[in-house]
Amino acid sequence: MSEFLQFLVAGLKNGSIYALIALGFTIVYAATGAINFAQGEFFMLGGMLCVSFTDLGMPLPVAAVAAIAATAAIGAAFELLAVRPIAGDSPLRIIMVTIGGAVVLRQLALHFFGPDERALAPFTEGASLKAFGVAVELQTLWIWGLTALAVVALALLYRKTAFGRAMRATAIRRDAARLVGINAGMMVTVAFALAAGLGALAGVAVAPLTQTAFGVGAAIGVKGFAAAILGGIGNPITAVAGGLLLGLLESFAAGYFDPAYKDGVALVVLLVVLFVAPQGLLAKAGRVKV
Amino acid sequence: MTLLQVRNVTRRFGGLTAVDDVSFDVYEGTVKALIGPNGAGKSTLFNALTGFDRPDEGSVVFEGEELVGRKPREVVRVGLARTFQNTQLFEEMTAGENVMVGSQARQRRGFTTAMLRLPNAVAEDREAREDASRLLRLIGIEEWIDVPAADLPAGIRRLVEIARALATRPRLLLLDEPAAGLNATETRELVQTLFRVRDSGITVVIVEHDMGLVMEVSDEIVVLDRGAKIAEGPPRMIQKDPAVIAAYLGGEVDDDV
Amino acid sequence: MNARTLRALAPLIAVALALIVPLAVSDRFLLKVFTFCGINALVVVGLALLFGYAGQVSLGHAAFMGLGAYTSAYCTVELGWPWLLGFVAAGVVAALGGLILAIPSLRLKGYYLAMATLGFGLLMSLAFIQAEPITGGVDGFSGIPFPSIGPVEFRSASSLYWLVWGAVGIAVLVAHNITSLRPGRAMRALHGSELGAQACGVDIVGVKVRTFVVSALMAGLAGALYAGVVGFISPSLFTLTASITFIAMTIVGGTSSLAGPILAAVALTLVQYSDALIPGLPRETAQTIQSYQEDIYGLAIVLIVIFAPRGLAGLWKRRSAGNEAS
Repeated sequence: MSEFLQFLVAGLKNGSIYALIALGFTIVYAATGAINFAQGEFFMLGGMLCVSFTDLGMPLPVAAVAAIAATAAIGAAFELLAVRPIAGDSPLRIIMVTIGGAVVLRQLALHFFGPDERALAPFTEGASLKAFGVAVELQTLWIWGLTALAVVALALLYRKTAFGRAMRATAIRRDAARLVGINAGMMVTVAFALAAGLGALAGVAVAPLTQTAFGVGAAIGVKGFAAAILGGIGNPITAVAGGLLLGLLESFAAGYFDPAYKDGVALVVLLVVLFVAPQGLLAKAGRVKV
Repeated sequence: MTLLQVRNVTRRFGGLTAVDDVSFDVYEGTVKALIGPNGAGKSTLFNALTGFDRPDEGSVVFEGEELVGRKPREVVRVGLARTFQNTQLFEEMTAGENVMVGSQARQRRGFTTAMLRLPNAVAEDREAREDASRLLRLIGIEEWIDVPAADLPAGIRRLVEIARALATRPRLLLLDEPAAGLNATETRELVQTLFRVRDSGITVVIVEHDMGLVMEVSDEIVVLDRGAKIAEGPPRMIQKDPAVIAAYLGGEVDDDV
Repeated sequence: MNARTLRALAPLIAVALALIVPLAVSDRFLLKVFTFCGINALVVVGLALLFGYAGQVSLGHAAFMGLGAYTSAYCTVELGWPWLLGFVAAGVVAALGGLILAIPSLRLKGYYLAMATLGFGLLMSLAFIQAEPITGGVDGFSGIPFPSIGPVEFRSASSLYWLVWGAVGIAVLVAHNITSLRPGRAMRALHGSELGAQACGVDIVGVKVRTFVVSALMAGLAGALYAGVVGFISPSLFTLTASITFIAMTIVGGTSSLAGPILAAVALTLVQYSDALIPGLPRETAQTIQSYQEDIYGLAIVLIVIFAPRGLAGLWKRRSAGNEAS
């Protein structure tokens, strides 16, 4: 029983991280109909920037907020410089530009931060909490708390503010949104910034537990996408559910079978979902009007 | 002789019945027009006839063969070729190459023979090339043969798409709003082409908004309104049909009427 | 000389140039670098068919190269097969891998196809590490024999060069035959408009699957050649980074072209070996260039896609079209 609970805790911890990345995919997809293949790099940038800021002597909370804000700015710049020039073009070109952009971001991180793995201090020092034979690290509580906070904040942003309503309108009909005076281009930039910020938040929150390095973006990006598509892409609530589910699947597969399988789980989930249920998932993206 | 039998074709999208129990026949060697106000279900019916969409009910029989449930490429191999309302040319290929693709519908050679450049693959290629220039000459646009589709004027694009459809050697040619976006001169050329196509023995079904063109070229007209057939007959009769007049006047008045 | 004669002569000039390289180059390392150029060119010829002609993405082509490399290594070392048989097996296994991935994937479009190939590539790189009894795990697979065909063994740098570029030559011939005949037009047609292609009777899924299999086959054979030339392979060779490198070469080279991607493959491969290319280049400079190599690939992708989506081949075609018109 305690073993099961331990796997559950680990799964929900990683699942929260995947949920944040999946939300990033969802936000950009909703605003543009595009998949941003550089999404994982924002996770990497968040962690690496936060480590660097604390190295410069910033207190951790300041460094974390600065890292998230800086990554969000990089996300906006990424949209303006790389994606904007080909906006509305074929998926092929957007895939290529975001892939190329991901490589550039990763290499910039390599040149700035060096090739070494870096770790962040835990947000709160202290022993793990123990209950029902399960140990929960304090950082895990931080991850859950921050994820929940981000989800609630995002929900409020989308539901309660004029800005959020504009975002949702843009997601439904881009051209119609423009007619009623919404600046669709700005919405897309903001969507990239938000997605980057969420990715960075995940990167910052998990850095004390797993260490981080310039090359971690691609793998986590694919996992986040697997979570997003598992939930059905385009829907923020199911994206979060997909993230948690993926984390649990990974954790139980690694725990009950072989830890070596852990990284393969998300990839298998990704392929299975794509192959088995492409129609449902493609319903919005793939339809071409005859 | 009946070439195409459309029987009780129905297509629903959610609560909306886009095509409602439509039946008609197309006789060999004639031009049949499908008309109706916007949203009457013409394009949906067209897609159902050509395998691009599957009707919920009904049957489409071409020379005794059931077409419902077949893929577009199978339908074209049976002898029904189509064009699109928004021309679907291959933009980076020349007009001639576009037409050559049409020959694929009746060719058999695949990857292996091509890889080895076997004589029959080369012969097929030559045949497709000759056919393309013959068809472009027939339609009178052979001077555009080496121009990439992306650089063609709208009128020529329509004609290239028709030539491409003809390259599949169809018995029945279905044209989806071929005059849309054409000026008066281009429309004249299109009419000439249609007559030439009909005279070569190919049956034509045309969806079109330009009433002048429809009245001029068609032998028979089917009128659809809100998915259902409301009239069928020769042009002169359709012009006087009270149900048709009501449908057009009662709904939004079309500029072309 | 006008563009048309140049076009007709270009293949002959290219073959002549490729043939004389070993005679003109005495430096064995440099010759090996040109051999690597050929191996990458072989992968890129396949990708040019898939991406440049048929407009389908693969972000996992290094996996097929790896499948070929490990198959050839396993067959020659563990099973003691003759090299040529292992080479054929490498092609078969890679093509089968391509088929297994292609059948479900190529019903997907755009982003989803890209993600499926990316996921497959990552899964295979995990498999190369995990399948230790076959692949040797992270330590890799060493002691792979030199290529040989019957009694002829390819040991010297120049014979390996000719073997690899001979394979490239055959691949180009095959690819040219495909693209200039019916399947090539079907590929370009479905790239241009899937609806239009279907209306012309093109079996779009069939064409995509076949193209994918051919390109996986070429990548697999390239992998087998790499294993034979170097004698050692490891999972770090067949990663996402390698797949993206191949994509960069293909994109820079341009669409609807074989020559462009091959030239780009050679040029971008040489970036990795600036020290061999420029004698007397200080070691630090060479290392600096090497450390920026991936930046160059990434930036090249972004810039070409934004400013010259048809790549070098597109720029060249536009120029020569302009010349002919004037």
